[in-house]
Formats: sequence, C-alpha cells, structure tokens
Amino acid sequence: MFTTKVLRQAAAHAERTPSIRFLGKRTIPASVDHSPQPHPASPTHSLPASFTSGSSHSTFSAYRDHAQQFGPLRKTIKADSGIGGNAGSQLGPVAPPKGVFFDRNDLPSRFHRQPLTAAEIEAIETGGAALYA
Amino acid sequence: MAPQARTRVIIGGGVAGYVAAIKAGQEGMKVTCIEKRGTLGGTCLNVGCIPSKSLLNNSHLYHQVLHDTKHRGIEVGDVKLNLKQLMKAKEQSVSGLTKGVEFLLKKNGVEYLKGTGSFQDEHTVKVQLNDGGETSVTGKNILIATGSEVTPFPGLEIDEKTVISSTGAIALEKVPKKMVVIGGGIIGLEMASVWSRLGSEVTVVEFLDQIGGPGMDTEIAKNIQKILKKQGINFKTGTKVVSGDKTDGSVKLNLDSAKGGKAESIDADVVLVAIGRRPYTGGLGLENIGMELDERGRVIIDSEYRTKIPHIRCIGDVTFGPMLAHKAEEEAVAVVEYIKKGYGHVNYGVIPAVMYTFPEVAWVGQSEQDLKKAGINYRVGTFPFSANSRAKTNLDTDGMVKMLADPETDRLLGVHIIGPNAGEMIAEGTLALEYGASCEDIARTCHAHPTLAEAFKEAAMATYSKAIHF
Repeated sequence: MFTTKVLRQAAAHAERTPSIRFLGKRTIPASVDHSPQPHPASPTHSLPASFTSGSSHSTFSAYRDHAQQFGPLRKTIKADSGIGGNAGSQLGPVAPPKGVFFDRNDLPSRFHRQPLTAAEIEAIETGGAALYA
Repeated sequence: MAPQARTRVIIGGGVAGYVAAIKAGQEGMKVTCIEKRGTLGGTCLNVGCIPSKSLLNNSHLYHQVLHDTKHRGIEVGDVKLNLKQLMKAKEQSVSGLTKGVEFLLKKNGVEYLKGTGSFQDEHTVKVQLNDGGETSVTGKNILIATGSEVTPFPGLEIDEKTVISSTGAIALEKVPKKMVVIGGGIIGLEMASVWSRLGSEVTVVEFLDQIGGPGMDTEIAKNIQKILKKQGINFKTGTKVVSGDKTDGSVKLNLDSAKGGKAESIDADVVLVAIGRRPYTGGLGLENIGMELDERGRVIIDSEYRTKIPHIRCIGDVTFGPMLAHKAEEEAVAVVEYIKKGYGHVNYGVIPAVMYTFPEVAWVGQSEQDLKKAGINYRVGTFPFSANSRAKTNLDTDGMVKMLADPETDRLLGVHIIGPNAGEMIAEGTLALEYGASCEDIARTCHAHPTLAEAFKEAAMATYSKAIHF
C-alpha cells in the first residue's frame, strides 16, 4: 500500500491537467455595472453620444414626462379627469368654514366607523360575559 | 379605450421575439407578443431555415435514390418526382412547428396579438390588428425583435415567379430548366443544391472570389466548391451581375468580371436573388421615438441590448451580430435575464454557422484568414472523412475536419468541418471553444467507435500531435 502511495506521489507531476475544469458552484457578483457599454458585435465598438450622456432626458421634468411606474407619470391628466387633475393647493382650504362641522359620514365610506355586530354589542353590554355564555 | 399595461411588450414573433416571450412568461412577467405574419416563428420557421431544411432533406433523398443506390446493392425501379407532395411535406413541417410555438406561448401565459405594432410614444405600442380594428398596449419594457428582410437587387424586381427571393425559392411550382443564383452565400448554395438535385441546371454567380459568404474558411470554401461542382452546380466567382432583362418567362443577365473587362450574358428561366438580408424596421414608428439606426439600418444597442431609450431593448437580425436564428435565441434568453436578474450571457466569438448542403459545412470560432489578419499565430490539424471508418461504411467520404489552435497553449481557436452531419458535429467544437478547451482535452475525451465524431477527435490529435488513422 505504502509503495503504491509513494509511486502515485512521484507520478503526480506527470499527470495531465485538463484545461476544462469544474469551477465549483456558480456565484453571481453582488454588484454588476450596468452603465452602457458598446455591444460586443458592434462594428464601431463605440456608442453614440446619446447613450453616453447618461439620461436621454435633459431635465427631471422631461424625465417625468416619459417615466412610468404602475402607469404613466406624464402630466397629461386633465382637470376634468377627477382626482389628481388639480394640485391640492388649488382645491381650497382643508378646514371647514367657521360654524360648520364635517360629519364623519360625509367622508368616503372607508373613513366611516366600522359597524358593530349583534354579538359585539351583547359582549359589551354584558361586560364580556356573553362571550362565555 | 385605455391601453393595456404590460410588464413587457415584444414586437415580433420570430425566433428572437417568441423565445423572449416564453422566457419572460417563465420568469413571471406579464407579456404581450405582437406578430403581423399570422403565424409565429418569423422568417426561420415560415420561409427560412425550416422549410428549406425540409426541401434539402427530401431533395437529397430523391437525388440519392436516383444516383447513389446501385453500388450500394439497391436496385430501384422508376423514380418520379412529385413536387406538389414535396412542397406539402414542407408545409406540414412548418405548420406543425408554428402551431407548437403558439401552444408554448399559451402555456407560458403570453398574450399573442396578431397585428402590426408601431410605436406611438416611448411606452405605447399601437397595434393594427390583422382581423381589423386597433388596440394599443403599454409596456414597462419594450423589446424590438422585428428581424430582417431580403435585400433586393438593384434593377431586378422580385416577382417571386421568374425573379425570386429565398421565399419564392421554397415555393416554385415547377422545376426550372435553367436557374441562376445571384450570391454564393449559405442561402444561395442551399437553394442551388435543392433545385440542382431536382433537375435544374444551376449556375451560381458570386461577386467575391470564394463562395460560402463571410466567415467560411478559405480552404473549406474551395473544397466545398469542388464537391458541389462535382454534383453539377456551375460557379462563376469573381463575377458581378451588371443588369438583367426580364422577357416573357425568362431572364437574361449581363455579367462581367468583378474587376471588369469580361462581359458575358447568361439566360435563365428563374433567377434567385440571394445577396443577403437587411434589418427590417419598416412601419415600426421609430421616428415617433427618435430611435437611432446605424448606416446599415440596424438598431443601435449597448451590451445589455438597451437602445438609447433604456427601457426599449432590441435583439435578433434587426441589430448587431450575424443574422442567425440561434444567435437571436441566445439573445432572447439573455435580454430577459438582464431585465429580471441583472446579468445575461452571449459569447459572440462562439456562434456556430452551418450550411446544410450535402455534405454539410459547419464552423465556429476563427478562420485561418481571420487569424492571419489579426496577426495571431496558430497551428492547423486536419483529418479527412476518407480516413474515418463510419464515413467509409456509409460511402460518404467527402470532407474533412480542420482545427486551429494556439501553438503555445494548444487552446482551440476555430473548428471548420465539411462532412455528413457537420451541423451536428459542430456542437462539440462550440462547447469546447466556450469552455476554452485545448486540442489535447478533445483528443483525450473518449469518442465512440465507429462514429463520424472520431474524425473530430483525430483532427484534435493532428493539431497537437499526430492522428492515428491518417
């Protein structure tokens, strides 16, 4: 056994190392540079100025004209199209005029009090005892 | 009606478009794929690679039964060509595959719109539906995959009857007596093979001094030209077509040598224009979004397939790189991965090319002329199929495997094959190149006996040492 081991060790340097080797489990770099680079098959190996100048939009406002997030962010919503048609400041003061009070029920239903069920009323009236009856 | 909002809108249902649609569907994106042809698969499936392979395969069988059976010990009787049935077999292959793709789109939750898409603005694509009416879709990401079209020949109007493109060449109603093919590239030579086998007298006119188009190794090009000449195809290389006159059912072409001074004319019943393809962006409304094209009409993209408007990406024949279906397919997967995961992979140095003549020609990596031009030293190893046992038993011994490798490191630089099934064999070379293998790696990999693939192994042996059987 020992002889074999020694022979193997002696012959190790003569063993062929293939160029193709398993590199182990694939790992993805944590950060990838996404800045525009010329396409490898591009005949000019360069990008036009419109790519390298960063954003194709000169101002943030111009960018918002084209950007999308769950729908267009464009400034094309008309006043008659309802919510979002006008700036909040243009809709007047939020506080009610003097002597006038807003009722909770005038607000959209999501701001209303939650209705109580009969079981909840019973539980309140009995100090919770109805839950164990 | 408000446009439908989608994660991804793909314009074009060819190989690039439909593969991207399936991959995006698999990645959980809401995808719409717009295609105007009425069937999916684009040029490749409908009028390109697939129908031509059907005709190549069946015309080869016909030709073999006619001319290559007696010495094999097979006596055949009266052999007749049924062109109508040949075309029907082709159409069945095409319709089976295009319907299969439609099923795959459905399976992966892709919405398929049959119509013509054009940009209204950077996020909205208007679709003129084939069945009438109009709709529009908006996309967070939009992919241009509109492919390519036949480059017309100036002065010769394609009517698909006497002056035909590759589309007409796969649908001729009768075998022309005389056919001239303008352009000795892959498409031209494949179609020349089909019609020559079916009985046409075919002449290929090529402007350059070698056939096979860009990328084919010069030695390989010379060899295949000899083999095809032996099969009955005539070649006029280094020759240009000056003009053409279409008269009642025939065409007279005026030729001259590429350098001039050798004017001649040639008559043909059918002229096939196969001088190449060009990117197709007609009617796409690129002017509405200020998209830039290069001098050849290709959409300019960066390394992640983004155009100058980053959420509009572009892949396939309509942009950079070789116009090959498998290149488009690779890009389709990569572009979805870039969007979804932030990284993708296409190695443009390792894209195989195949010419499906008989024998087939296939290559990957660099050719001898590429290496010479780049000033790179190389070592050459070849192995002929005439020394391969399986090729000998098949009585198909035309061709060879040629390998090019770095003389210092033995790293494989290119593989060039002429031979039966070269198109399948090149996959091994492509894998070896992709992994950066040495010729010794290939040679020390056990190949089954008796197979044509042994020629591949022996060519590798010949490159770094010596082949056993030659």
